[in-house]
Amino acid sequence: MLLFLQTTLNGLVLGGLYSLAAVGFSLVFGVMGIVNLTHGIFVVAGAYGALLLFRHLGIDPFFAIIPIGLVLFAVGYAYQRTIIHWAISRASLVASLVVTFGVAMIARNLLQLTFGPDVQTITPSYSFTSVGLGPLRIDLVRLIALGASLVLLLILALVLARTQFGRAVRATAQQPLAAELSGLSVGRLHGLTFGLSAAMAGASGAIIGIVQPFSAASEVAWTLNAFIVVVLGGIGSPAGALVGGLLLGLINAYTAQYIGPSLTTAMMFLVLVLMLLVRPQGLLGHSFGESR
Amino acid sequence: MKQPLAIFAGLAAVVVLALLPLWLGPFYTRVVQFFFFSAALALAWNILGGFAGYWSFGHTVFIGIGAFSAALFGMHVGTFGTGPMSMVVPLLVAGLVCGLFAALIAYPILRLRGIYFAIVMLGVSQVVSELVNNIGWFQGGVGVFLSPPVPSGVTPEDFYYYIFGALLLLAFLLTLLIKRTRFGYALLAIREDEDTAMMLGVATEKYKVLAFVLSAVLVGLLGAVYGYSVGYFTTYTVFRLDFSLNMIVFCLIGGIGTLFGPIIGTAVMLFITQVLLSRFLDIHLLITGLIVVAIVLLMPGGILGALTRSRRAALARKAEAQA
Repeated sequence: MLLFLQTTLNGLVLGGLYSLAAVGFSLVFGVMGIVNLTHGIFVVAGAYGALLLFRHLGIDPFFAIIPIGLVLFAVGYAYQRTIIHWAISRASLVASLVVTFGVAMIARNLLQLTFGPDVQTITPSYSFTSVGLGPLRIDLVRLIALGASLVLLLILALVLARTQFGRAVRATAQQPLAAELSGLSVGRLHGLTFGLSAAMAGASGAIIGIVQPFSAASEVAWTLNAFIVVVLGGIGSPAGALVGGLLLGLINAYTAQYIGPSLTTAMMFLVLVLMLLVRPQGLLGHSFGESR
Repeated sequence: MKQPLAIFAGLAAVVVLALLPLWLGPFYTRVVQFFFFSAALALAWNILGGFAGYWSFGHTVFIGIGAFSAALFGMHVGTFGTGPMSMVVPLLVAGLVCGLFAALIAYPILRLRGIYFAIVMLGVSQVVSELVNNIGWFQGGVGVFLSPPVPSGVTPEDFYYYIFGALLLLAFLLTLLIKRTRFGYALLAIREDEDTAMMLGVATEKYKVLAFVLSAVLVGLLGAVYGYSVGYFTTYTVFRLDFSLNMIVFCLIGGIGTLFGPIIGTAVMLFITQVLLSRFLDIHLLITGLIVVAIVLLMPGGILGALTRSRRAALARKAEAQA
C-alpha cells in the first residue's frame, strides 16, 4: 500500500512536468492546427539555458525561468512569423509538419555541436534534500517543480480565460476569418501564441534540467510526450494538458514500478494507440473544435 | 509511340547497373548497394504514403520484424538449403510475418488519418522494438545471427549489390503496376478526398489495407536482406528511427506520390550525404534538415514537382506566343 502511494506521488510529480512541457504544444495545435515537431527543442533549449545561467552566473534554475521564457518567447514569435508562416502560405498546413521536423534536426545538430553529446544535469545545493509527507518521501526539488508547474499552468489558464489577449487568441482559434474581420491581427496573434508556447516549453525545460538528466537527443522524447499528453487530455487548453500530463506521469510511474522500467515507452505508446482508437479527441475534447 | 523507347531506356539502365560492379571499387559498390536498399524502401513507403496519403512515421517496424522473423525462423526451424538457397524460406517467412502483422494492425490503425496515423505508426514501431528488446525469446537485447548466404568466389558487396538491385527492380515494377491500374487510381482518390471516394463507391477500406500490407511485405523483405547483409544484429540495428525518417525525406525531396521521385530523392540525398559530405559526419543532421526545410519552402512538390511545373510554364509561354 505504501509502495503504491509512493509510486502514485512520484507519478503525479512527473506528470506535473509533462503537463507544463506539453501545454504550449497543445495551445499551438489547438489555435493554429500545427503539430510543432520543434517543441521538444524548446524544452531542451530551456534546460541548456538554465544550465549555462547556473554554471556561469550562479542563477538558480527556478529564477532562470524568467530570462529563458523571454528569450524563447522572442524566438518562437520570430520562428512563426517567418519559417512556419512561409511554409503554410507557400505549401500547406501539412508542410508545416515537415518543416518543423527539418528545423528540429538542424537545431538538435547545433545543440550537439555546441554542448557535446553528453548527458547533462543541473545540481543546485538543495537537489538532494527530501521532505517527509507522513511515511512518504519526496525530493524537495520535485515538490517545488510540481508547484512551479501548477502555478505556470494556472497563470496561462487565467490569461487565456480572463484577459483581452486571451479572448483574442480564442477568437482566432475558433474563427480566423471572423476574428480578422473584427479587426484582430490574426498573423500577429499567431506569432504571439507561438511565442507563448515556446516560453512555456523553455520554462518547463529549466525545471526538467534539475529533476532529470537531459541531452540534445532527448528532444524527440519531449516532442512525443507532448503529443501523447495532448491526445490523452484534449487539445488546446491548460486543463487538458494538466489531465493528460498527470495521467501520463501515473502511467509512467506504475509501469516502471510494477511491470518493468524498460517498458515505460512501450506502455505510453500503447495507451496512446488505444486512446486514439477509443476517444481521439482526448478526455476533455478539443477546446476550439465545435466551430471548425 | 513513347512506350518502346521507355522500355528500351529501362532495359539499358538495368544492364548498365548490372555491369557496374566490374568498374566500381568495393567502397562505391557498397554505396550503390545502400542506394538500392534506400530507394527500394522509399518506393515501398511511397505506395502507402505517396499514393494513398497515409504518412507512416514508423515504417522501420517492418524492417525490424522482417529481419527478426528471418533470423528466428532460421535459428529455430531451419533454413532449408545452403548458400544463396538458404535465404529463400526465411525471406518468404519474413514477408509473410510482416504482411500478417500489417493486416492485423491495419483494421484499427487505418481508421486514423493524417498526423494521428503518422504518430501512431511511430508508436507502433517504438512498442514493437521495446517488446523485441525486452522479451527474452526474441533475443533482441543479445542479438541474433543469420547464416551467411554468400557463395564462395563472390564478394559480399557484389552479392548484396545484386540482391538489393533485384529488390529495387521489384519495388519499381510493383509501383508501376499499381500506378497504372485501378488500384492506383483508388489510392489517389483516397489521398485527395477519402470521404468522397467512399461515397462514389471506391472500396476505400480494402484498398488502404492492401496498400499497407504490400508496403509492409516489401519493407519486410528488404529488412530481412539487410539483416543478412549485416549478419549479426540487435534490436537497435534494425529498429532505427532514421530508417523511418529517411523513407519520408527521400520521397519528399524527389516528389511524393510519383514513380521516379523516391528514386531521384534517394540518389540526390545519398550523393550529398554519403559522397560529398562523407568526411563531415557530425553535420549530417544539420545538412539534411536544411535541405528538408529548403525543399518544402522552395519547391513543395519535390524535384519532380518543380520540373513538371517549369515544363508546364514553358508550354504555357509557348502557347501564348503562338496565339
